[in-house]
Amino acid sequence: MKEFNYTINDPNGIHARPAGVLVKEVKGFESAITVWKGDASCDMKKLMKLMGMGIKQGDTITIKVEGPDEDAAAEAVKKAFEENF
Amino acid sequence: MALDYHKCAEEIYSHLGGKENIISAAHCATRLRLVIADNSKIDAKALEEVEGVKGMFNSNGQLQLIIGTGTVNKVYDEFLAITGLTAASKEEVKAAAAAKQPLPKRMLKSLGDVFVPILPAIVASGLLMGVVEALGKAIPNFAETDWYAFLDMISNTAFAYLPVLVAISAARVFGGNLFLGAVVGLAMIHSNLINAWAVSGMDAAEIPRWHLLFFNVKTVGYQGHVIPVVIAVWFMCMVEKWLHKHVPEVIDLFVTPITTVFITTFLTFTIIGPIFSTAESYILTFAQWLITVGFGVGSLLMGGLYPVTVVMGLHHMYNVIEAGMLAGDGGINTWMPIATAANFAQFGACLAVGIKTKNAKTRSVAIPSALSAALGITEPAIFGVNLRYMKPFVCGIIGGAIGAMVSAWMHIGASAYGVTGIPGYLTINDPLKYTIILLISGGVAFILTTIVYKEEEKDAGASKKEETADLPKPENVVISCSAGEIVAPVVGKVVAQADIPDETFAAGVLGEGVGIEPEYGVVYAPYDGVISSVAESKHAIGITGPNDMELLIHVGVDTVSMNGDGFNCLVSEDEEVKKGQKLMEFDKAKIAAAGHPDVVVVLLTNSDDYEDVKLG
Repeated sequence: MKEFNYTINDPNGIHARPAGVLVKEVKGFESAITVWKGDASCDMKKLMKLMGMGIKQGDTITIKVEGPDEDAAAEAVKKAFEENF
Repeated sequence: MALDYHKCAEEIYSHLGGKENIISAAHCATRLRLVIADNSKIDAKALEEVEGVKGMFNSNGQLQLIIGTGTVNKVYDEFLAITGLTAASKEEVKAAAAAKQPLPKRMLKSLGDVFVPILPAIVASGLLMGVVEALGKAIPNFAETDWYAFLDMISNTAFAYLPVLVAISAARVFGGNLFLGAVVGLAMIHSNLINAWAVSGMDAAEIPRWHLLFFNVKTVGYQGHVIPVVIAVWFMCMVEKWLHKHVPEVIDLFVTPITTVFITTFLTFTIIGPIFSTAESYILTFAQWLITVGFGVGSLLMGGLYPVTVVMGLHHMYNVIEAGMLAGDGGINTWMPIATAANFAQFGACLAVGIKTKNAKTRSVAIPSALSAALGITEPAIFGVNLRYMKPFVCGIIGGAIGAMVSAWMHIGASAYGVTGIPGYLTINDPLKYTIILLISGGVAFILTTIVYKEEEKDAGASKKEETADLPKPENVVISCSAGEIVAPVVGKVVAQADIPDETFAAGVLGEGVGIEPEYGVVYAPYDGVISSVAESKHAIGITGPNDMELLIHVGVDTVSMNGDGFNCLVSEDEEVKKGQKLMEFDKAKIAAAGHPDVVVVLLTNSDDYEDVKLG
């Protein structure tokens, strides 16, 4: 399993549209990808759930990736965060 | 072929009218966001032609170039390198855009933003204080009772400590720490300082002074002041933000607050304070001279000037004038009718706003504020209502000026000082003439305000909500697929997905769907289902329906930046809803005012899971 933290810089946080961008990035991977904020977590492939997390600027979230393509998936997720948030 | 980032940035730059024309630059997920000094100098047509620029529009005072995810940041880096600009955060770009509004307008807006949240406290106190003071004057025995002492204390608490309320609210508006704001406010009225209201009875030489460096500071508090407190807290927030940025994190919690408070209070007492107290004594001398100018002309000017000095917090010394008038042989207080005219005119103006407005919220503030002003406590009316809309304030000035001039012609005066407005009947020497002055000043202000005060669209917009029950409901199916049919959530013209003015939505990244240009600001449930998510900023709702259809209803483009202002979400997460149930109300005028398209984006986010998805 791969795991890393990311602190959101975008002033608007993860709202509908950018959440969609993230979901699109990860949909293609087989691995299970979960986003954790404190004790709450969600499947990163589910747009509605990701939006519902209400992740805001300054929040530090943890992303956990587990599965056959976890290396590539973790890389892609990291890159997507760095470019968009 | 990959885009040549450098070339793209260079071409964009060449069409922007030179480096001086670019105030700042930032980027978000898809767009390069620029604040341009003079939009007429840019070559919009050529910009759209630049390879890599997929679209552009002007919004919020920003020129936004759509470049695309993963690309925009690289173009942005090149752009910075070429222009030599430093990276600006999105916040800074927004601030720079806001800065394009004229300064007086921004200052008034800030003052309004500071005052509105504290209105409940001071409107209630103002009314109570007016009643208690009037009773105390009318029934001398009552003034001796414990009840009077108690009520007097309770009712004037909000006013005696007004600087603290103002400071906290200002800290919130300007983005500083609320508690540091409170400390600055408290310091300005600390009990070790002489009460500002007491100073008018003292000789200048009696006032103790501090000698700090080369400053000679009078130890006088800021009771009743508003503007110096707002300035002090604004300055404090600047200092605090700067320190947060530059002080190493390890010692930030220790160094930043103490430095912030010290610098702010020091400069407040040594610079802001003296400026205001000097201005106050000039005003006093000026006012004393002014009212001696004949034919009521002086009184006319003073009646007009009076509310301005109240706003500036320069009215503390007027008691000196009144006391001086009464001290002479058989002296009468002719200042009081002038102050009354000025105050009562603000009442008239505020009342006119309260009656004319269609916005229930404005009315609920304006009516009690007006009543309080009639009793001589004008702060709620001036700061909470009249000054916010400016025109009523000016109408009040005109009414007050005319009323004051008439009072000088009629030679009326009071036998004491301390009350104005309706309670003034208790001290006035000619109630009939006094009534005439009240009618003239209040009446002129009321009539003028009724004529010139027009509700801004966005203020009136809030009241439209009450009427939404009668609006037609949408019935047309906008998306159909193997899982079922989705009825439009809003009434309006359907636009193709590709025509939604947002690259991400249009490209189908979030699933297939349509845009709808809403006729009315109401969103209905498109099917029986469960609310799966509500955006923090209330502008988007996710709803799960039959066969696990996940629909995203996103109102407007970029409306996340409105932070929920203008959106009223009627449902919460995990709530079950019935088809046709009202889910959300939104204010089209506010979205337009914020510079965003109000197209409602309706997307089946899991359209990949279904076959045969048909749109429109």
